[in-house]
Amino acid sequence: MKILIAIGGREFSKPTLDLGMKIANSFKSSTTIAYVGKKISQFSEKDVSVVHQNLDDRELYRPGIRTLEWAYDFLISKKYIEEKDSNKFDDYLLVDEENSRMKVLLKGQQSDKIDLIMRTGEIIEQLKDEVETNKHDITIIGGGGNKGIHQKLVQFIDSSVFVVKNYSVNKKYKILLPVNDSKGSDMAIETAINFAKSYKLNVEIVSVPEGKKSIEEVEKILKKTKEKFSKNRIKTTTKLIDGPAVNSIVNYAKDDSIVILGVSPKNPIMKYFFGSKPLSIAQKCNCPVLITK
Amino acid sequence: MNESYKVISSSILFWFSQKKWFVYSVIISIFLLNLSTPVGLTVPAYHSLIILLLVFMLVTFEPIPFPAIALLTLVLQVVLGVAPPDVVASSFMNDAVLFVMGSLMFAIAIVHQGLDIRLAKLIIKIFGKSKRIFLAGLMTISAILSSFLGEHTVIAIMLPIGLSVIKNIDTQQADGKNAVLLTLFSIAYGTIIGSIGTPSGGARNVIMINYLQEFSNVSIDYWKWMKHAYPILMIQLVVAYFVLQFTFPSSLNNIKMRGFKKNIGKTDVKKNINHLFSCLIIIGIVSSWFVFNDIYGLGIIALAGALTFMIFGMISWEEINKNTNWGVILLFAATISLGFQINETGASSWLVLRFNELLETLPSNSMNVSWSIMAVLSGLTANFFTSSATVSLIGPMAIELHPTDISFALSSAIASGFSFLTVISSPTAMIIYSTGLVSTKMFFRVGILMFSISIIILYLMSQFYWVKL
Repeated sequence: MKILIAIGGREFSKPTLDLGMKIANSFKSSTTIAYVGKKISQFSEKDVSVVHQNLDDRELYRPGIRTLEWAYDFLISKKYIEEKDSNKFDDYLLVDEENSRMKVLLKGQQSDKIDLIMRTGEIIEQLKDEVETNKHDITIIGGGGNKGIHQKLVQFIDSSVFVVKNYSVNKKYKILLPVNDSKGSDMAIETAINFAKSYKLNVEIVSVPEGKKSIEEVEKILKKTKEKFSKNRIKTTTKLIDGPAVNSIVNYAKDDSIVILGVSPKNPIMKYFFGSKPLSIAQKCNCPVLITK
Repeated sequence: MNESYKVISSSILFWFSQKKWFVYSVIISIFLLNLSTPVGLTVPAYHSLIILLLVFMLVTFEPIPFPAIALLTLVLQVVLGVAPPDVVASSFMNDAVLFVMGSLMFAIAIVHQGLDIRLAKLIIKIFGKSKRIFLAGLMTISAILSSFLGEHTVIAIMLPIGLSVIKNIDTQQADGKNAVLLTLFSIAYGTIIGSIGTPSGGARNVIMINYLQEFSNVSIDYWKWMKHAYPILMIQLVVAYFVLQFTFPSSLNNIKMRGFKKNIGKTDVKKNINHLFSCLIIIGIVSSWFVFNDIYGLGIIALAGALTFMIFGMISWEEINKNTNWGVILLFAATISLGFQINETGASSWLVLRFNELLETLPSNSMNVSWSIMAVLSGLTANFFTSSATVSLIGPMAIELHPTDISFALSSAIASGFSFLTVISSPTAMIIYSTGLVSTKMFFRVGILMFSISIIILYLMSQFYWVKL
């Protein structure tokens, strides 16, 4: 599994980085930590590039490197990376790759499990390109900032998207898994099983009767889902909740929930203009939400 | 749902979300093309104004690359019957375009020589008595150099000096943060203010000189421009110094004037000779702008500078090719070509007529009002659209307002250089913003005061000083 963690400001990115690394360690996956720098106007992009090159030559930090250095120090302080004299951030090499991507190579870096990269440009375009080029399975991003970014990420990025909102390191979390009979829901169930197994979390399966579905049919879905978890020896509870799907799930989710949802099967054009249920839930919930693809 | 349908519709949507301003611009243009031509305007003139609006929208929102906007401008001029192909082609290249090309290459060659370290030493030597004088020195040197070599050259040389003196400052504390901002803004404002000083300070100045020559047969040489603009520059520098000291009060305790020292490699004989030779080339080119500008034009002289660096092996063509913004050169060439057609088709006269009619509805209609509107409009447009492109597109209108009075054209070009409001307005502003240490809000907050004061200074100088020249 390959995980992409997108970071922005320092303090603001702490929870994203922390949860992202926990997930990466649980799955023993390779991780890319990406900082996307400000979009530069086409008028000035070459001038900016020359200046940044000049700053590198003078051993003055290039903008964005400070954020990656902070992220690296944070990983060491949290023991996600073993601290050695040889892998200090002081001695780094920036490798200019194609498509506005720069990779930071540290002199003593032994493992290829964690990559630090810097990109410049429009954030959605850059993350989309990063995911497509390097085949990341999950993109983890902070919950702050412009909500439109999350909508576009879910819509256009070819990986699962984890929006880390209101995450606290000291809290004991449980998975909240809303299910129905869609294909997206099947994928969410699979992901929730993997998460619960490797992260040792309890799971709460919920379902909301929608449209012409009878309560019996919904209960059947809940039972079937519970069996899948039981086979993997994961503790679950089930609950049938009433009301409009989005609001019911948002109200049911607590601060200690990690909501895992499947991507909407809706027509992409309809999703773009009118949104979707998983997206509305992700926007309204005040807890981490993973939308699987 | 069919998987391939999902993939295709998702790709189209992504294209739309990234290029929506292109779609909107095209729809607006098609709508305007289908309206009847306004009274008093010929069809080619009307079409040239539609292309002007299209270019404004595309350059502002950047949905497609600049070279694509440039090519679109050329194609549309011919397809919409604004001018025949030969006329469009001949207006595509002139001395102003050569200047943009030459000055960009010349800048890359200068920056490549690593003169910043030597310059830093010089600044310390002259202004190193106190930290406040040092910052004033940074600002003054940035302004003087920028007035001759252009913003993009000077900011590339001065920013490493600025960042090296503030690199260990803790920006979490207000005093430290203010010291960082004061240093960065001193360099940025010095560079921006300097660019109005001489014709070679910015492409917009050369474009306006070119337009004046073509449309009004008025010639402005290097000296004449300097006599008009340099006093404004000096007053602005003093004002900017106090505005910045007032906005960012700091003890400057944490500034390390010799912070760059660690980064200086041992200077060897080869490097010394290289630096000496670079300085000679720069002095030669600047002197040629003064002396030979009437004979050879500013563009050819700038190209000669880049050529000299290449001939003597001080920079490779690959380096110049890699770092030159060819897209910007193409775009300027295309917008200047459009500017010529706007004038030739009579579109600029028509716009000025409408503008004057609008002025007549105002309670007090005078030269001062039309000057003020034109100067503020030039300044504001430049801040949201970049300065050189503004002059290349609205320059013909500024000249048309008073073809024989150069103060209108000069004021429009100089006001376009007041890029204090937005980070997209000039390379300096964008480079300072790209450090991550200055936000767009901060830039605007300080800039609004500087912009307003600069317009007032420009007005007073044009009223009381230029008339005596």
